[in-house]
Amino acid sequence: MASPKTVPKDAQVMMQILKDMGVTEYEPRVINQMLEFTYRYVTTIIEDAKIYSTHAKKSSVDADDIRLAIQCRVDQSFTSPPPRDFLLDIARQKNQTPLPLIKPYTGPRLPPDRYCLTAPNYRLKSLQKKVSSSTGRITVPRLSMGAVSSRPSTPTLGTPSVQTVGTKVGTPVSLTGQRFTVQIPNSQTASVKSATPTTPTVQNVLINPSLIGSKNILITTNMVSQNSSSDSTSLKRKHEDEDDYDAL
Amino acid sequence: MAALQDGPVELDAEKETKPEILSDGTLNISGNTGNGALSSSPLTAAPAGGAPKQEDQQTLIAVLQFLKRNKLSESVDILRREAGLAEDQVDSLAADGSGGGKGDGDGGDANSLLSRVSITAAAAPQSTLTPVPVKRSEDHPDVRVVLSAYNQQGDPSLYQVYYSDLKNFIESVLDCHRAELSQLFYPLFVHMYLELVYNNNETKAKAFFDKFSGDQECYYLDDLRVLCSLSKKEHMKGNEALLDFRTSRFVLRISRDSYQLLKRHLQERHNNQIWNIIQEHLYIDIFDGMPRSKGQIDSMSGSLGGEAKREVNKAKVFYGLLKEPEIEVPLDDEDDEAENEEGKPKKKKTKKDSIGSKSKKQDPNAPQQNRIPLPELKDSDKLDKIMYLKESTKRIRLSPDNLPSVCFYTFLNAYQGLTAVDFTDDSSLLAGGFADSTVRVWTVTPKKLRKVKSAADLNLIDKESDDVLERIMDEKTASESKILHGHSGPVYGVSFSPDRNYLLSSSEDSTIRLWSLQTFTCLVGYKGHNYPVWDTQFSPFGYYFVSGGHDRVARLWATDHYQPLRIFAGHLADVTCTRFHPNSNYVATGSTDRTVRLWDVLNGNCVRIFTGHKGPIHCLAFSPNGKFLASGSTDGRVLLWDLGHGLMIGELKGHTDTIYALKFSRDGEILASGSMDNTVRLWDAMKAFDDVEMDDFTAATGHIHLPDNSQELLLGTYHSKSTPVTHLHFTRRNLLLAAGAYNSQ
Repeated sequence: MASPKTVPKDAQVMMQILKDMGVTEYEPRVINQMLEFTYRYVTTIIEDAKIYSTHAKKSSVDADDIRLAIQCRVDQSFTSPPPRDFLLDIARQKNQTPLPLIKPYTGPRLPPDRYCLTAPNYRLKSLQKKVSSSTGRITVPRLSMGAVSSRPSTPTLGTPSVQTVGTKVGTPVSLTGQRFTVQIPNSQTASVKSATPTTPTVQNVLINPSLIGSKNILITTNMVSQNSSSDSTSLKRKHEDEDDYDAL
Repeated sequence: MAALQDGPVELDAEKETKPEILSDGTLNISGNTGNGALSSSPLTAAPAGGAPKQEDQQTLIAVLQFLKRNKLSESVDILRREAGLAEDQVDSLAADGSGGGKGDGDGGDANSLLSRVSITAAAAPQSTLTPVPVKRSEDHPDVRVVLSAYNQQGDPSLYQVYYSDLKNFIESVLDCHRAELSQLFYPLFVHMYLELVYNNNETKAKAFFDKFSGDQECYYLDDLRVLCSLSKKEHMKGNEALLDFRTSRFVLRISRDSYQLLKRHLQERHNNQIWNIIQEHLYIDIFDGMPRSKGQIDSMSGSLGGEAKREVNKAKVFYGLLKEPEIEVPLDDEDDEAENEEGKPKKKKTKKDSIGSKSKKQDPNAPQQNRIPLPELKDSDKLDKIMYLKESTKRIRLSPDNLPSVCFYTFLNAYQGLTAVDFTDDSSLLAGGFADSTVRVWTVTPKKLRKVKSAADLNLIDKESDDVLERIMDEKTASESKILHGHSGPVYGVSFSPDRNYLLSSSEDSTIRLWSLQTFTCLVGYKGHNYPVWDTQFSPFGYYFVSGGHDRVARLWATDHYQPLRIFAGHLADVTCTRFHPNSNYVATGSTDRTVRLWDVLNGNCVRIFTGHKGPIHCLAFSPNGKFLASGSTDGRVLLWDLGHGLMIGELKGHTDTIYALKFSRDGEILASGSMDNTVRLWDAMKAFDDVEMDDFTAATGHIHLPDNSQELLLGTYHSKSTPVTHLHFTRRNLLLAAGAYNSQ
């Protein structure tokens, strides 16, 4: 640790705080991280308070604004676990149902596919098919649509669509350019069928943060085609056609 | 209530002056002589402040008094509720009424809630009155209970006086009672301090803290430090553990004699402040018998919630093991075995597996086979079992004379990021969870890790060939280790499934991920905890797994349900360690609130609570016969618990730092513990469990006198070169494997 003489004052204060809280061993970088956090927290609060006070048409920021800012931030960032009586209550509810029986011989025991992360979330278009019809067009690996799920907690979007069965392979060719629609299933859960837009339109690319459960960012695109009715809005896994896996 | 609160503020502002005493005296005397509400109406007038309300209040209060005197307590409650009267208003008069016999100024202060008016005055005379035992009228016990309302408004300066009084009293009692009554100090101190903080008496709280915090037991030091940083009411709001402490009742176990002594003292001294706190916040579990010694008390205390009530540990626990299924093992050698592992009867004689058919009748301490649904044995499981039996015949018998060899797997260049380790049961694979959110799997044997070929390649293989299971594996990417990416936070728990097909990992990103060890990809992410998940473990039979996290609950999941099946709620702080019992019917959880709880999987009930650790518990281990549980914590002690009786049966001292790894040897003779002090210690478990003598007394009261035989039980200490031990594992042949990350500092 740097000698107290050369250490700036707030670092000294932070060292004292750590000592008071009983933290005796720490790496030297911890002080910098704590100071950064302090600075960030205080400026966030004060900025929020400034916004509240201007909203209330006050001339200067006062304690009430600060208090409100703190309260809002606490509810947002520093949540604490639910209180004990609430936990006991839901535990009681949950524990009343008897344990479900185990079905015999069902292979790997996994939840329904929509809750698993086992489905591919992309599909690569092979080059050969498009060479003939698309001239001078860069074939972009198209992202296939995943099954729409209305559960925001779903980590994945299930199965790829069945665009590629036999004759339908050629249809995406008719799209011009890199046009693809991105649809977020959760925000438009009016219908499970996500294939409603049959006309190729460019919509806003939205990424639903709830889908970003892992490091992968799942962008679902709707394979716009005239055969949208055959889009697999069902959640069953469809058999990928062997055409996709031709030796390239 | 607002008006009443103004009252004491005004009065506190005034110094304790003679006129005040006089006026109070007059009020009290008039109250006493009047013997009813009417004459004490000036008393309420001062705090109440609103003149027009007085008459109505007077009549109401008079009626209440009448009802009370005639012991119509229910009507009292109803009337009080409907009238919206503050309880202390009424009770202040009640105290007045009951204090009629005294006739001097102390009648007011006896009841602390009354003390709004008279408290400042009473401070002086109170101490002089202490030796005078006055016959306390016991006719308003329910009132007193009701009095201890949440906003207890005793005068802050009197808290110190009360506490010192109690301290003096306890120091003056007989030795045998003193140890027991000293248990009161800590919870009382904390509750009084919290009351002061809650009522915004910051300076008084600080003074109270400074004066008395030094007296508390040394193992409460950490808690006291946390308390010290709490000086305002706002600080309390975010602190869940503290709020739970306030609302849940701290349990104390005191013998009847000591309790009578305490009760008599408190009631004769009108120290109702303390009595109120005791009644509201403390639960005193009285037992008949000898008072406990200091050592006995110290060994059981330390948890955030006090000790465990006796009836909590009375439920029947089926600690026996499930019967092994019968598998026919051919009697002959390995070369014949390869062809006939299914156990089909051969021409040669076959011998029934001895483990399965040992006893036809049910072990009374074992659960029924179908108590909880368990997955059936697949053929591959049967093969595994046969391998297991073969290995166990080659097992080394360990004993104090025959200690196991230790093989240490050191993780180099882990940059202190290693946060979790697990071995498979047959010790062929090793998994490590890291702070950079990756999980890495290594193979310990020369056989490399292979994953299944991609779908394109799978199409090309011959499905009919005999070694199809070999052919589906991709030789090109075979390697010694594989990295699994997917979590977005440090991985704090890893667990292999018993059939070596799956790996679970739990992380700070509040998810638990199931990975396939055949494709080395992630299969499922289980979401439920919204806070870091500190530990997870597969059941010994697979299919179920348990996880525990920062949200203070442990959850039981099944791999094919996306929501938990059971929620085990009850701990006061984070659940740091979760372990299955060998029969998969019970789950043990260790927590930061320093208790170990045993939960029943069938209905989610907590069947055992074990207190005694003085620090957060970081590891648990069940003995292979299912009867005992060992737990290790940051205080460096390993405690041994008997599950059937619910008692502590041993304490192993020796480590100097947090214990992160505990494992019993395969037959339960040796207990190995690994800690942050870079050592692995071996303890004689057989001896520790044999020494237990159970007579009726101990079984009834749960007070066992632990012999301090840690030194005898310690069989060996093995130091590593600055590598803290993160995990321990006994192979099937009783070789001890240890794992840890090299710490270069």
